[in-house]
Amino acid sequence: MTDMREHQLPADINETRDSAEVLRQGIIREINRLNRFSTRGILALSLFIVVSVLAWRGFPFLPAPDAVTALLGKAPSARIISIVLLLYTFSAIILSLSRMAAAVEHRSSFSHVGFLTAFFLFYYFGKSLEENYWAVFGSGITILGVESYRIWTFCAEEISRKKEAIEFVTRTGRPPPQE
Amino acid sequence: MFATLAGKALVPVGLAVTGFMAVCCLILYSVIRDDLHRSEIVHATNLADIILKSTRYAMHKSDRETLATIILNVGEQKGVSHVRIFNKKGIVSFSAKSGEINSQVDKNAEGCIVCHKLPVPVTNLGTMQQARTFKNPDGMDVMAITAPVYNEPDCSAAACHIHPPGQKVLGTLDIGLSRAELDRSLGMLRIEMIIFTVMSLILTIGGVTALLRKNLFLPVQRLRNYAEFSEKKNDTPPPRVGS
Repeated sequence: MTDMREHQLPADINETRDSAEVLRQGIIREINRLNRFSTRGILALSLFIVVSVLAWRGFPFLPAPDAVTALLGKAPSARIISIVLLLYTFSAIILSLSRMAAAVEHRSSFSHVGFLTAFFLFYYFGKSLEENYWAVFGSGITILGVESYRIWTFCAEEISRKKEAIEFVTRTGRPPPQE
Repeated sequence: MFATLAGKALVPVGLAVTGFMAVCCLILYSVIRDDLHRSEIVHATNLADIILKSTRYAMHKSDRETLATIILNVGEQKGVSHVRIFNKKGIVSFSAKSGEINSQVDKNAEGCIVCHKLPVPVTNLGTMQQARTFKNPDGMDVMAITAPVYNEPDCSAAACHIHPPGQKVLGTLDIGLSRAELDRSLGMLRIEMIIFTVMSLILTIGGVTALLRKNLFLPVQRLRNYAEFSEKKNDTPPPRVGS
């Protein structure tokens, strides 16, 4: 009996070491994914700045507003677009702060760039981009700034938790306790 | 800064509140500027109509001296950059600046091209289309209105100088008003809005800091003091709840 147990022990230890290594590798992969994800907000902000530069130059590659409004009909008035922009900014900030409070991983940054580009285009076709450029730019910087901060802090906290989990796995060979 | 509890609480709140305030101020500024610009156009159009009504009798009687005096007096008013009447061929007939009289107006210039871009000129324009803004040679921001002088039955039937009934527009009154006062008001509004946004930011950050300090940092500090003290002496009473 004693001999058999002594023969089984090294196999158990090897099995535990393998599963700990698999766990460790899994956590490292997750850390790498979070590292990549943490730059998402900044990338969205950079894309928005590129769109803003194009808007500042009056979208030189787009047809003239008159040609488009002749095809699609009259553009909404600048005042209506501004009211919608205000409501959108308010909702986006509230949503972002709620996600921050709930620590939810949400990939919404690039959709905001799309919405903000649409506002630039509506103002452009309504021939009031010059007067309202800074409102859209300020809205974009605010929304994407809050979103970037949310994503960055979420990833930083998750990465720190994952690093603690790696230490736990290395020390005990067991998966970390679930919260 | 970002790693501390205060930083984590203040950065998103400060960014969200200040950003939203800035967007509100920018939109409000744009709306106010648009409204003021429209009011200015309506005011200038009314002024042009008053001048046309005042000069109508002199025009009807072909009293060039009275007409020139009216134009000269209007041009001397504070805030009036220029006032002139030119005929259908674009030659300035009357002007507050004597050097402009008998000079040819460029039909491709801003303010003229609106009606003259087609071979047959447009004779009816909306109030907002009559206005144009530009910088004059003195570097002053000017908002100008071009009001057509229409042919009326008593003009075409007048004994003194008959215009053919088919001629719809006899000439154009061009009046330019300085935008200096409007620009000054808008500049003041801009400064007030910046101050308002900065004050909101200070209040928000101050409010959040005060609440954090009262409800979080001070109780945590007391707890830490108690823990340190109880390490030295085990019979310390627990800290008071709610203090």
